[in-house]
Amino acid sequence: MSPYNLLPRFKAQYDANNQEFSISGVVRPQAIDELGPSIALLRDAIGRVRGVLYVNVRRLTQMNNAAFHAFSRIIIDACRARPDLKFVVITSSVVGWTSRKFGRLSGIEPNITVEEYDSEFYPGQGFLEEGGFVPILRTQTKMTWRHERAILPRHGMKPGIVMADICCGIGDFAVLVQKEFQPSRIVALDHSISSLDYARRVMREFDIRGIEYTYGDASEMLLDEAQFDLVTCRHSLQIFNRPELILKELYRICKPGGRVYITNEKNSHCLGEPRAESIRWTYNEVAKLFGHFEMDVELGPKSRRYLIEAGFEDIRVETFMVTNLDGDPQDFADVIAAWADVYAGEMASKRGDCPEFVARFRQGFQDHIFAALHPKGYAGWPIWVASGRRPQ
Amino acid sequence: MEPVHHDLAGGPAFEPMIQIDMEIKAFVSVWRHCDYVSTYMARMISQNRSDSVRHSNLFSSAFNELLEVVFRTRHADGELACRVSRHGATDRIELILPCVPEERRFYEEAVSQVAGIEARERYLNSVSGDLAPSREVVLLELAVDYNATLRLEEADGDAIKLVVDLPLEGLRN
Ligand SMILES: C[S@@+](CC[C@H](N)C(=O)[O-])C[C@H]1O[C@@H](n2cnc3c(N)ncnc32)[C@H](O)[C@@H]1O
Repeated sequence: MSPYNLLPRFKAQYDANNQEFSISGVVRPQAIDELGPSIALLRDAIGRVRGVLYVNVRRLTQMNNAAFHAFSRIIIDACRARPDLKFVVITSSVVGWTSRKFGRLSGIEPNITVEEYDSEFYPGQGFLEEGGFVPILRTQTKMTWRHERAILPRHGMKPGIVMADICCGIGDFAVLVQKEFQPSRIVALDHSISSLDYARRVMREFDIRGIEYTYGDASEMLLDEAQFDLVTCRHSLQIFNRPELILKELYRICKPGGRVYITNEKNSHCLGEPRAESIRWTYNEVAKLFGHFEMDVELGPKSRRYLIEAGFEDIRVETFMVTNLDGDPQDFADVIAAWADVYAGEMASKRGDCPEFVARFRQGFQDHIFAALHPKGYAGWPIWVASGRRPQ
Repeated sequence: MEPVHHDLAGGPAFEPMIQIDMEIKAFVSVWRHCDYVSTYMARMISQNRSDSVRHSNLFSSAFNELLEVVFRTRHADGELACRVSRHGATDRIELILPCVPEERRFYEEAVSQVAGIEARERYLNSVSGDLAPSREVVLLELAVDYNATLRLEEADGDAIKLVVDLPLEGLRN
């Protein structure tokens, strides 16, 4: 990118349906007339709306004081001229300065409120973020790693690369990659402060270097474009109601010629013997339960389509099965027990399931555990791996 | 880069991180230099902060405002030096710039305003006021929004040295 690029690096839009004016990007004009069209758009929007005008600055990464003053002035004046009108400014917790700076406006005019937009867009966050889930995430990553360490080199992983792990959770994957493949730099991003605190603690305690943990929103990251050779996003597209928005961001930060690597499940394909029927019934229900909360844990085999539609080429897809035979069967059983706790516990009750359903639902998990620990049993959890190259 | 020590007041020693020097004439020839220098330096010094991306965003935001103030300063010929050093959670920006005598007085007054008790109120008034933010208000905002502390130090010849401490690492939303 040329530093003297004269193209404006911000965008202002008005969405009449939602009565929402949004401004995004880097707004650092020398003189206010550089903002002319955006200011006119805001004035025009104010002229049209009734009731509430939403001012969305969630994707505003930088704005200098001159520009801030110019936009604030118009909003403050409008409040004085039209007491019937309310303004709701929507900031993001990810861009640290916006809430503070825009927050001032509500002290000046009572008709301006400032809301920090946050976690709502990830419906499952509450279920998984509870501290109790951490040991299970660790065990899960330990089990999947046995497979992925062999798979990753086929998808662009090699020493010396610059990589990002988006939705990194507690950071175990980043740590394992760092040890095994020695990329030159890893940026690991998540939207859970508690997971990041945990990840940073691990990094300090084990004196690990080369990983930069960052708080962010995968659907609109502060990371610059085209800077990573490999972008990984594991078990996470499936928890967003609009995975294509996340993929768009993964594409954006990936270098042309670099790859984006995603892993996802298809929960209804979890299996076990003996007691196959009960297990199958329960995991079919798991998929429906997540569907109820707008998460698609059946996404795995759809990865190819998502990657193609996002503009990737040279798409590679493979699957692997985590089973009770890799490592300690008790690990497998522990993971299932933790799933049962959350899925047949909090999630089922939140959906309002009756006790009979919950009992049967739970039984399938019990049977999966039974299969895993049975001396002649077999239990599996299939994962879909897919990657695509960003065109040159 | 020579090491800088600031123990005049018995304060802690700051470790130098990065320094950029340029002709002030060259700097003020293109507005985008403010953005470019602040973004570049922010990225370089934030790598080993606990959240490099956020730190870099905040640092760039504050530093750009300072550079915009410098950009608007009536300067004498000479070099502009931008230096960043670090002590614990605090990053220190030092700007050494050649300037005409009236500008020295502007900086002296602005710095004392920033340290004054009404800094916050003055800043708030300016947000609701009609006038575009003055350079003084921009400096006030650094104190109010980023907990910055500002002071002036002696420098050689026509130059002044503005020292700004930014405790961004400890700043919550
Ligand atoms: C199912 S976990 C997967 C974590 C990790 N990749 C792993 O494989 O263990 C999903 C992760 O996405 C994170 N997340 C949810 N919404 C997010 C968002 N908008 N931006 C970034 N991360 C988000 C959650 O905090 C959680 O750590």
